[in-house]
Amino acid sequence: MTSLTRAPEAPTATPSPAPVRRASRFARLTPYGLIGPAVIAFAVVLGYPMVRLIWLSVQDFGPRSLFTGEAPFVGLGNFTRVLADSDFWSVLLRTLIVSVACVAALMVTGFLLASLLRQVSAWARVMLSVCLVLVWAMPMVSASMIWRWLFEPQYGVLNWVITQLRVLGDFSAHDWFSSPGQALFLIILLIVWKGLPFVALTLYAAMGQIPDDLYEAAGLDGAGRWSMARHVTVPILGPVLGVLVLLEVIWSVNSFTPFWVLTQGGPDGGTTTLGVYSYLEAFTRNDYGGGAAIAIITVVLLGVLAVLYVRRLFAQGEVTA
Amino acid sequence: VRNKRTVPNTIALVVSLIVIFPVYWMFATALKQPGKILSATPEFIPWPLSVDSFRTALTHGPFLHYVRNSLLVSVSTVLIALVVALGASIALARFRFLGRRGFLVGLVLVQMVPGSAMVIPLYLMLRSIGAIDFVPGLIITYMTFVLPFTIWTLRGFVEGIPLELEEAAMVDGCGRFGAFWHIQLPLLAPGIVATSIFAFISAWDDYLFAYVFLKSQDNYTLPVWLVSFQTSDGIDNGATIAASAIFSLPVLIVFLLIQRRLVGGMTSGAVKG
Repeated sequence: MTSLTRAPEAPTATPSPAPVRRASRFARLTPYGLIGPAVIAFAVVLGYPMVRLIWLSVQDFGPRSLFTGEAPFVGLGNFTRVLADSDFWSVLLRTLIVSVACVAALMVTGFLLASLLRQVSAWARVMLSVCLVLVWAMPMVSASMIWRWLFEPQYGVLNWVITQLRVLGDFSAHDWFSSPGQALFLIILLIVWKGLPFVALTLYAAMGQIPDDLYEAAGLDGAGRWSMARHVTVPILGPVLGVLVLLEVIWSVNSFTPFWVLTQGGPDGGTTTLGVYSYLEAFTRNDYGGGAAIAIITVVLLGVLAVLYVRRLFAQGEVTA
Repeated sequence: VRNKRTVPNTIALVVSLIVIFPVYWMFATALKQPGKILSATPEFIPWPLSVDSFRTALTHGPFLHYVRNSLLVSVSTVLIALVVALGASIALARFRFLGRRGFLVGLVLVQMVPGSAMVIPLYLMLRSIGAIDFVPGLIITYMTFVLPFTIWTLRGFVEGIPLELEEAAMVDGCGRFGAFWHIQLPLLAPGIVATSIFAFISAWDDYLFAYVFLKSQDNYTLPVWLVSFQTSDGIDNGATIAASAIFSLPVLIVFLLIQRRLVGGMTSGAVKG
């Protein structure tokens, strides 16, 4: 029987005195009627393209195929070609390094900022959270344009600041984007800066749920600030931290805009990560089959994480299934 | 108490300044006199203020035309997504039915698929129906990420409405539709607004799809215009940054207005389900 149950103990809706049989058939069909349009829309905008993507990955789909519409079936040819390419492995390694760096930096600074938000006076909390919300709101395209301007070789304000600090030496006329390592560093910095508000504010909200007596008890037991964080905060926040890590890994691997706006994967492909790589393969080299194969490899790698995430959501009972 | 908070407060002040600096620098650069933007020693306070860079940005190409393109795509995307998602979210939150769990799992998984993976088959798909370089065609591509997000978030808001209210209304003689119209919808309104704003912003911000699917300059949306801006006739840093500021300003204002709801709504939508 379909009913308005949300939790097992929730009372079922009392049927109105209307004819019972007709009402129940209507009620049984209602959810399908409500979700039908969404199912159809998913089939068109997600289902079909995903099937097409998989189909594409086993085809030799080049520029000619765009016009003829015909592409020879090559089996796993695209995959073996991609996996045999040393470029792919350096791109994969680079993607791993970038996402590990992004996620580690995000989690550590996010945790510190959230703890800071809990300790400061009201005015400081409002000030810091408004700043974080504004950063969160910045469109990635604008943020990438600002980044380029902040680190502009001749007139970038941060080059000037670094030079004034007299720690790293003279950075006037320093071109960050001529070296892949430094360009990647700037991109990671941008992703961390843009992603920090979400992590910090989420953790701040989650920390608010921890009862104060736990800290008082820990304090009575002689725990310092560090061991309170280690033995009280982190274990309790465990599930939230886990979900945040998974989401941030997925988001950083999929990141495209900052890479494309700042470096287009260059110099010499030195800042290409998986998202940019599949784009380049498909649209620059006009090898749509190869691009699809790279995309599928990425999806499969992330799929492992995605499954973990889904299991976690359902296990926590946060989604009533 | 005072001493205890002085140190964290000071740290918070310093961190705030660092975190907000890029945003400040965007406005500071945009409001500077163009002659002062390129100086070896940066001036941290833009004085006297000048709107020359904004003027250059706005008169460079048909700016309002790009605004129109961006609005057209983003607003249509949100409206279509809302209509489709509202029913689906109620079905998921209020009914038990065959395939519900599968749909929920699919909903989460689909949000993990990178845009750069979807862009290739979508390109071929739109190409075969002649919708490349066609602004409304972008709506289809935006549905791929806006629709799952909207359903997921709205579902959370529907679940947040106490079931007892609807039941009371039905006991009082409202039909299920009456209960929805008089009870659920008004309570859902803030959630719908918050979800729409997020959906709107994710469409408004999109660069990847717009960049791949829009070819002629007339059809550009604002992000594509913004990135192509500086390469068109030499680099005008002031105008580029002013253009970024114009593009960001509506989003910044909206986020500040809804920030209270944002932290709760977004985290319950994206993290806690």
